[in-house]
Amino acid sequence: MNTKSLRWILLGVLSSSGAYGQVTYANYIRQWQLPSGVVWDATDTVASAGSQLSNLAINPGGARFDLWTVRSAPLTEYLLDSSYVGTYVPISQIVIDTEDPFGKDLTATGPTPVNIPGRLRRTRADRSFTVYVTVSGLLSGATDPVAAKTVSFLRHTQSYGSGVGVGIDRTQATLLTQSTIGTNGTQILNYALTGLTGSNLKKLRGEDRFSVFSIADPISPTTLPAAQLASQYMQVWPVTDGSISGITSNQIVRFAMPALTISYNDIYPTSEVYAQAYKGERVAGRIGARIEGGGKINTGSSPTTEVLTPTKLDPIFTSDGRWTIELLTTGPFGTEYLRTASDQLAFVTFTVDRTIEVNSTVTTVE
Amino acid sequence: MKNKKYFIVLGLLVLTNLSGELKAESLVIKESLSDEQMILARRQADAQDPTRHLAVAKGEDPSVVNRPKSLLGESDIICFGRFAALVPKRAILQIPKDFGERLKMQPNVILQSWSDFYAANRGWITTVEVSRIQAEGNDPIAEEVKVQMSKCSNLIVATYLGGPISVLPLKVPVNKAPIKKTP
Repeated sequence: MNTKSLRWILLGVLSSSGAYGQVTYANYIRQWQLPSGVVWDATDTVASAGSQLSNLAINPGGARFDLWTVRSAPLTEYLLDSSYVGTYVPISQIVIDTEDPFGKDLTATGPTPVNIPGRLRRTRADRSFTVYVTVSGLLSGATDPVAAKTVSFLRHTQSYGSGVGVGIDRTQATLLTQSTIGTNGTQILNYALTGLTGSNLKKLRGEDRFSVFSIADPISPTTLPAAQLASQYMQVWPVTDGSISGITSNQIVRFAMPALTISYNDIYPTSEVYAQAYKGERVAGRIGARIEGGGKINTGSSPTTEVLTPTKLDPIFTSDGRWTIELLTTGPFGTEYLRTASDQLAFVTFTVDRTIEVNSTVTTVE
Repeated sequence: MKNKKYFIVLGLLVLTNLSGELKAESLVIKESLSDEQMILARRQADAQDPTRHLAVAKGEDPSVVNRPKSLLGESDIICFGRFAALVPKRAILQIPKDFGERLKMQPNVILQSWSDFYAANRGWITTVEVSRIQAEGNDPIAEEVKVQMSKCSNLIVATYLGGPISVLPLKVPVNKAPIKKTP
């Protein structure tokens, strides 16, 4: 019987019983002894953040530490983290890095990025990302048990459908790949795109999850099941699209500008969408005048949709000639031209012609 | 002189905004991927799985076994007044007759940690410290403790170093030593 208590670390914990507005949360740490199934409430053994030796000695089968937070009303539980420790279980860490810096510790200077505990990384359906998988403590001796020599690396995906992923059942995720890691060190895995699938690849929304699991360990009298050593997931949001209605390509505007409606779908979190206008045919890279009331910033944590009706158009289109209005977005992935839902660039070029031509004939009779 | 330069720059900016005819050199604007480009990118991504150098693991998905199920489902709730606490199932060793209602979730209660809740409810909750071996069901709770429990009219919760702990049914046979009758 191994009576050694193992060091365990609690990261990213909210206050023990935090109140946020009208809603209260309570955090719980549960230690599950394996294989006995004894459960100990270890909540009060650590401060709201920090590290502590577990006071409950761990059996040869190991123990799983689950960190939960529970919302009082409505009564809802959220599993924040789960870690398994055992006698010879390797240690693993996963860090996901994307182009969107939200959730990234920008002060960290090491070779492996560091994410802020409790914050999810996120990216867009058309962007690449990197996963850093670090494994230590793997043994290589001929007599060492298999569970001490290798771990499993898993990639799951789970679609949010048309939602934002609140309350999804993560046991329903799709297992994409399952690999074996047999060496200590950090693997840097560059993924070109999310593993989510769908009929419109630019409109995928869901999450990619990466996990490291121990190998099932056949010890007497039972086989210890594989246990999660590390797991992280990132959210994937769709590519923004937009459209301009109220004016058509090559329309001739004689007097006042017609009323425009500008629609944006799936505005990425912390991104801005806007419409710009300039004189002439559409030219890539040209900077125009921003149309007042034709843009929006998404300050939320999930995509939004906006339908805008800008006014004060006439002060922009001051002279006769060809004019272009186009839609753009700027955010963590740079500044980009938007496309319409039908995959065309979202712009319209039209003609302003306010000159009144009077055709007249003057004749005299002598 | 400085002011003059400032007004020239400002003038250029205004001109840019009004006519849109000046081209900024610093801002790079990209075109988002078309549907066709996206399909191509996906094919390439599928062909270049970064884990292809790793051996493929076989067997069932380990994430669906031995995973945390439900804290609420695997806990008993103790409520009193505006507050409540969760303890592992099998941690409550004795429930007095009149306390049944206190083991049901009440509306609008605030969840607390065990130590906070217990501190405020010592009047009707008693704890019994058990060892790890007792919690595993490998050693019975001492007879004198059982006697005290039987005389106690409080709700009794098993704890290990102050934290509520589940106590599994006894696995080892209890050695029933003959009780000596004292004269």
